[in-house]
Amino acid sequence: MASKGKKFEEEVRDLEAIVSQIDSGELSLEESISAFERGVALIKSLNQKLDEVERKVELLTRSAEGRLQTSSLDAELGPRDRSDVDQDDEPF
Amino acid sequence: MDEQLTMRFRPGSIRTLSVTQLVRLISETLEENLDGFWVAGEVSNTRVPPSGHLYFTLKDDRSSISVVMFRSDYQRLRFQVRDGIALTVRGRANLFEARGSLQVIADEIEPRGVGALQIAFEQLKARLAAEGLFDRERKRAIPFLPRTVGIVTARRGAGLRDIVRILLDRLPNLHLIVRAARVQGDGAAFEIAEAIADLNEDARADVIIVGRGGGSLEDLWAFNEEIVARAIFRSAIPVISAVGHEIDYTIADFVADVRAPTPTAAAQMAVPSIADLREQLIAMQAALINGIDRELSGWRETVDDLSSRVRHPGVIAARARQEVSELGDMLHAALRRRTADARRSVRELTACLRPPLAQVRDLRHQIDRMALTLAHDLSNRLVESRTALAGLESGLRGRAAAAVAARRHRLAEMAGRLDSLSPLRVLERGYAVVRNERDARVVVDSSSVEVGDELQIRLMKGKLRARTIAREA
Repeated sequence: MASKGKKFEEEVRDLEAIVSQIDSGELSLEESISAFERGVALIKSLNQKLDEVERKVELLTRSAEGRLQTSSLDAELGPRDRSDVDQDDEPF
Repeated sequence: MDEQLTMRFRPGSIRTLSVTQLVRLISETLEENLDGFWVAGEVSNTRVPPSGHLYFTLKDDRSSISVVMFRSDYQRLRFQVRDGIALTVRGRANLFEARGSLQVIADEIEPRGVGALQIAFEQLKARLAAEGLFDRERKRAIPFLPRTVGIVTARRGAGLRDIVRILLDRLPNLHLIVRAARVQGDGAAFEIAEAIADLNEDARADVIIVGRGGGSLEDLWAFNEEIVARAIFRSAIPVISAVGHEIDYTIADFVADVRAPTPTAAAQMAVPSIADLREQLIAMQAALINGIDRELSGWRETVDDLSSRVRHPGVIAARARQEVSELGDMLHAALRRRTADARRSVRELTACLRPPLAQVRDLRHQIDRMALTLAHDLSNRLVESRTALAGLESGLRGRAAAAVAARRHRLAEMAGRLDSLSPLRVLERGYAVVRNERDARVVVDSSSVEVGDELQIRLMKGKLRARTIAREA
């Protein structure tokens, strides 16, 4: 299970808390600025998390000796070319 | 028809029929009147002779009737007709002419009430429920943003293709591990259970989708087997069941942490859409910037407000000065009044007593001195309060100015920290932003620039125009 450090949803919750703190107007100027800085850092981290994982499709099987082994299914089911991903009307 | 019969058997016109004629007449009557009905009853006396036709007796507590289902229809039946079960039969009435016996020819038979599979299903469901396999408290949440999704389904099924397509559409950077298993027929339940166990042993998946596309109740039966239920229960990784049947729940659906009606729906439940997530992030970024903007302009207003109030002490002083001078006027007036009063008393006294003139003069001097002292005291006091007032005013001015200066300083400091987040700071360190004049886009890749293109280079201070003379990868 791949996630490192804080989970995505935890960071989203932290970010929401920061936004509402600043909006409440109850922070001092210094506190607002440092909350803002934390918010900017969180947005950066969240965007990184979305880019983090490499796209691949693999098939899990058991060998004759009973060991788990994987082979790629990318060619059959897997990633279309990266350049395709951005195009809106890709053929399926 | 009835009319025809009555005509034929009208009293007086009776003619004698042969047996064959009678049987045929009855047969015709039956077939014309009782063609296509549903009848419900309990089965007994079931038999399937070598001809392959199905024969049984359908009965209720008072009557019974023979039923035959011909081979071609019987072969299509999905369940076994056995003595004692309740059926609903669609058919037509028919007279077996050789024996003159009545029978129903069935073309469709449906189990009525609870069938055998259903009984097995209900019993297993009750047992597993009692053991706590379906308990709501043990359902685990699907991770919000899974990185790796395990899939258990048929290697060549439409289900797999659908699941993979939807998953990768929603979250392009996703790692999928397919553990293929047969999903119907003998041994399917075992393979499904083994596949779930294998994905757990592999341990990389954050969530597992177990399912198949739609099918008949029998096709889906593997998902009603205890071995599959136990494998899902034992899985340390949360499981989404996706048996393609909108209405019926399988045992697997009850045990799974989340039940999806179809494989496609399972893929949608398994991962969030990256487009939605990015949109959410952009919205929160905007909210953050708006929030801090509002906050800063709030503080700016506070400082402006304080600055404007620095003039305030001056106004107070002017008002006080006016009050003091009014007070002085009043005192002068009072003094004059008292002096006049005293003079009048003296005059009256003089007139009344006719005292010696010298005495009157002394008295007058005395009064004049008193008046002088009084006037002197008063003017001293005026001067003192003016000085105190001036001191107060300058003190106030100083303190207010200092407070404003301190807040200005803090604001500048904060603005500086904000500024350090700005991309322009990067330029200060000697970096430059290069735009291609041809398409006004920022150049990040030399391959987007043609030799000869005019480039605009933004430095920390000012801009340059340049022409491309060569290009390197």
